Amino acid sequence: MSDTAHAPATADHGAGHGAGHGGGGHAHTNYVKIWGILLALLVVSVLGPMLEIRVVTLITAFGIAVVKAYIVVKYFMHIGIEKKYVGYLLATMIALMVLMVGGISPDVLKHDGARWENVAAKKVVTEGQAKGADHGDAHGKTPEAAPAAH
Amino acid sequence: MSAEAHAHGHADGHGHHGHGHHDEGFIKKYLWSTDHKMIGFQYMFTGMAMALLGGFTVYAFRMQLAFPGISVPGYGRVTATDYNALVTTHGSVMIFWVAMPVLIAALGNYLIPLMIGCDDMVFPRLNRLSYQIFLISAIVLIASFYVDGGAFGGAWTSYPPLSAKAEFSLTPKGSTLWLLAVALEFVAFLLGGINFVTTVMNSRAPGMKMFDVPIVVWMIIIASILFMASVGPLVAGAVMLLFDQQLGTGFFDPAKGGDPVLWQHLFWFFGHPEVYVVLLPAMGIVAEIITVFSRKKLFAYKTVLYTAIGTGVLSFFVWAHHQFIAGIDPRMANIFSVTTLLISIPVAEMCFVYIATLYGGSIRLTTPMLWALAFIGEFLLGGVTGIFLGASGADIYFHDTYFVIAHFHYTFFPIAFIAVFAAVTYWFPKMFGKHMNDTLGKMHFWGTIISFNFIFIPLFVLGARGDHRRIYDYRHFPDLMKPGMQDLRILATVALLVLLAFQVVFLANFIYSLFKGRKAEANPWNANTLEWHAPSPPPHGNFPEGLPTVHRGPYEYSHPDRQDDFWPQHLAGDARSAQS
Ligand code: HEM
Ligand SMILES: [Cu+2]
Repeated sequence: MSDTAHAPATADHGAGHGAGHGGGGHAHTNYVKIWGILLALLVVSVLGPMLEIRVVTLITAFGIAVVKAYIVVKYFMHIGIEKKYVGYLLATMIALMVLMVGGISPDVLKHDGARWENVAAKKVVTEGQAKGADHGDAHGKTPEAAPAAH
Repeated sequence: MSAEAHAHGHADGHGHHGHGHHDEGFIKKYLWSTDHKMIGFQYMFTGMAMALLGGFTVYAFRMQLAFPGISVPGYGRVTATDYNALVTTHGSVMIFWVAMPVLIAALGNYLIPLMIGCDDMVFPRLNRLSYQIFLISAIVLIASFYVDGGAFGGAWTSYPPLSAKAEFSLTPKGSTLWLLAVALEFVAFLLGGINFVTTVMNSRAPGMKMFDVPIVVWMIIIASILFMASVGPLVAGAVMLLFDQQLGTGFFDPAKGGDPVLWQHLFWFFGHPEVYVVLLPAMGIVAEIITVFSRKKLFAYKTVLYTAIGTGVLSFFVWAHHQFIAGIDPRMANIFSVTTLLISIPVAEMCFVYIATLYGGSIRLTTPMLWALAFIGEFLLGGVTGIFLGASGADIYFHDTYFVIAHFHYTFFPIAFIAVFAAVTYWFPKMFGKHMNDTLGKMHFWGTIISFNFIFIPLFVLGARGDHRRIYDYRHFPDLMKPGMQDLRILATVALLVLLAFQVVFLANFIYSLFKGRKAEANPWNANTLEWHAPSPPPHGNFPEGLPTVHRGPYEYSHPDRQDDFWPQHLAGDARSAQS
């Protein structure tokens, strides 16, 4: 929250104009261009994992997701005006994501215990790995083909 | 209300539509309004209507528990599937369609612009859309009673595999409609939350610095942020569950390699922060009321604020305490026990701060003040019993018993009803320009508080004796029919009937005062915050004499240098030039 108070009109700007005018002849950010960039990134994030190299998969799938989130937050959510919040917001949400995945993983990644075994889950994993090994033989290690279980 | 004419039009964006002003019709004024106060009322009255549904369902299933097999007056015989649907609807409605809309959406909408001294929300149309989506969500939920198989009966937590497969839930359409309704409701509150946060960031009256913002506004903002940060995974989870139900995927189905515990994690990662989403605004309401009616400055404003933020952060670290016996990793259970016990510290701290505020004040036991004090007392009981449950060892015994039910009702009832009654009785003069009847108000207060305790203390006792929750007919379980147990159930049910009957007093008082109440002046309680500077009720645009400027914090009561025992935020000048 900034320490100075502004007139309400500043914040209403986006909503008022967006709804009031059809095509903007304004000095707005070029939303179509940004949408194009997002689309291009999407293509990369789909193609990247197809190379089936683990590092490339991670970078293109998750890395690009972060970049896309940043762009959406910055331009479509108009947080570009309050620059320092973009960083804070992203950092907080990533921290929460790590927390959530960290808390959940010990349970859902575990498929057996002292007195139980999740046979179905294990089967899906082995099947998936076998399938991955079939067509990804060039690299020999393609565990990412088995995400179906979780 | 001559100000109406020129203030009008502002809220509607920039009014580029090129037509002059015409008289607002009924629809425009009451149903299609972008005025934050009207949208607040829409949320409030829809919430109240849903509270009647929540109350009616609990009446029906508690009657079945106390007098199994009877034909419940006004409902008829409660079958086993009815029972499940009634319990599920009760829980979902009270949390998602009563506590959330009334505490956050209704009060947030009504109070935020008035208390920060501006004329409306920054996104008035988004605001209207938010209510409309909310209304649709309520309609979808109610519609689920009328489809094949009836309404969903898998509890408000909707655990799979029960919720994922129609063979188990027996509600092929009801469970999907339930999910859809909840998802729509989340969309509505996301829109509202964005609006609240942006408005408070951008539209505060000139001079209103961060620490001049009334605590209740802060609390609603923190709650909105908590909601926005926690609900994402559950929305994703809801879509996955929808796929499991309708497309035959197996995200949560162990037979297909899925994992039902995953849903529990996603649900409670949202679900626990959610309890603070509703708790914090209630705490904020209490802060406003106890300062006014003890004529004292809030003890440690910044402590309350930082504590609330700290509570919000911690609330993300405790979710798995709902899953201690779900087969989670025991090492995780230890961690979550510790974090759960930790979170009771800031909550207790806020209660202490409130008690310290009361200390030495000149306390006036008005109806809103009674509700606020009752909130602190009753909520403490809820919080303290949470500690028992947070210790994973004890929870192995207590889990899924009526002890848990009593625990969270001692937290939720104070939040969704006691704090809301405090708020409604306190702000009623502002909202409608009329006073509520005080005698009826006090009757309602005592009738509600006493019967509330007579409902839930027996449930603590029953829970400690092992009484399992979510059981349709205890006669099938001889262990749970030991001497005295059924008597306690009957006692709780009878107390419920008394509690429900006393709500008629409230409704009568509300309607009577709305039309026949004594006229209220702008600032009947001699309070400091900006909403009391606006006329009662405030016109469209809120402040006909121009938007106020803020000169001090919200809680300057009984300032030693000043004659009056209050010092409104908008008054210029130092203490000695006292005017009022
Ligand atoms: C003050 C600290 C609190 C502690 C230590 C605490 C602890 C717990 C624990 C450990 C449980 C799980 C019990 C079980 O299922 O076996 C629980 C259940 C519950 N608590 Fe709390 N709680 C606290 C505050 C609250 C608040 C403020 C609310 C509501 C506003 C709340 C609402 C609930 C609900 C709704 C459930 C039951 C959910 C269900 O299974 O249907 N609690 N609490
Ligand atoms: Cu919890």
